[in-house]
Amino acid sequence: MHFDWSDFIWTIINFFVLLFILKTLLYKPVLKTIEDRKKSIEESLEKAARAQEEAERIKAEYDGMIARAREEAREIIAKAQKTAQAEKEEIIATAQREAQALLADAKATIAQEKEKALRELRQEIGNLAVLAAGKILNRAVTLEDHQKLVDEFLNEVKM
Amino acid sequence: MFGSMAESTGILEGLLHPSLYVKTAWGVMAFLALISYLGTRKMERVPRGLQNILEMAVEGLYNFIGGIVGEKKAPKYFPFIATFFLFILISNYIGLLPFAGHEGPYVPPTSTISVTAALAIIVFLATQFFGIAEKGLGYFKHFITPFIFMLPLNILEQLVRPLSLSMRLYGNIYGHELVVGTFMGLVPMLIPVVFNLLGVLTGAIQAVVFTLLTSSYIGEAVHDDHH
Repeated sequence: MHFDWSDFIWTIINFFVLLFILKTLLYKPVLKTIEDRKKSIEESLEKAARAQEEAERIKAEYDGMIARAREEAREIIAKAQKTAQAEKEEIIATAQREAQALLADAKATIAQEKEKALRELRQEIGNLAVLAAGKILNRAVTLEDHQKLVDEFLNEVKM
Repeated sequence: MFGSMAESTGILEGLLHPSLYVKTAWGVMAFLALISYLGTRKMERVPRGLQNILEMAVEGLYNFIGGIVGEKKAPKYFPFIATFFLFILISNYIGLLPFAGHEGPYVPPTSTISVTAALAIIVFLATQFFGIAEKGLGYFKHFITPFIFMLPLNILEQLVRPLSLSMRLYGNIYGHELVVGTFMGLVPMLIPVVFNLLGVLTGAIQAVVFTLLTSSYIGEAVHDDHH
């Protein structure tokens, strides 16, 4: 086991020279590259996560919109149906009311006509009866008598 | 071991005429520098080829060291500790190349105590330095815990660490080299292959052990007490 001081001293010098060389040529660039890559991967992952989140948010939004649209459509249809139903009922009611009115009108007119006719008939019958009686009595009945007779007759007939 | 005048001039002489260990260490450094340069010349976001391998190696080493010194301290101490690992690993594997040896064109720098001792001393001094830099005088508190009586023992422990670090690394690599050399002389076929396969394991294990212990020493020195 031979100990050589010059080897010893040279080794110390060599070590620090090598330390400097490797620090500059190896450790620094390699560690920096690794660090940079790590950062870029982390950034990419973060970006991807953000994009995913965004996509999910938009999807939820669209889902909500679609659901709301469906709901609205249902409401519109229901409202339309209700309106149509109400209108239908109103039309029918109006028609019935009008028909009723027309019927009532017609009935009233008929009754009036009938009354009038009856009245005229009675007058005519009274006149005829008085005329017949006058012929039978052979003398003219005065206008006063005539009316009296007609009235009496009519009263009887009414009875 | 400790110098007289004659030896001091020997040191100067040695520094001017570096040994095979030092020259091989330069080769190791040049190799690491070249690989690093080629692999990180133009870094791409999607790694391929050499960049991919370097990234895997650096990240793996970073996680390994970070797991011991703690996530928070890792960025600060990783370059220092990782340099030990890469230098020791490649140095150890020099022994697997053909013709490696004391007479060869190259020899594992880690197969001499002079080199491993230097590495261990750097670890020792750096541990104390980082500890004081991180905690100030509070660093010395752990020398007297749990009692003041533990002081000599704790100091001894600190001093033994570089010894064991350097001896373990040197012993394993030099021993392996010796065994391979011996068997190469006896049976040049097949048997050295087995030992070389073992050498692959030993080289990696020793590099890992050195790194692991260094990480734990530094981790312990800079560890936050107040949680």
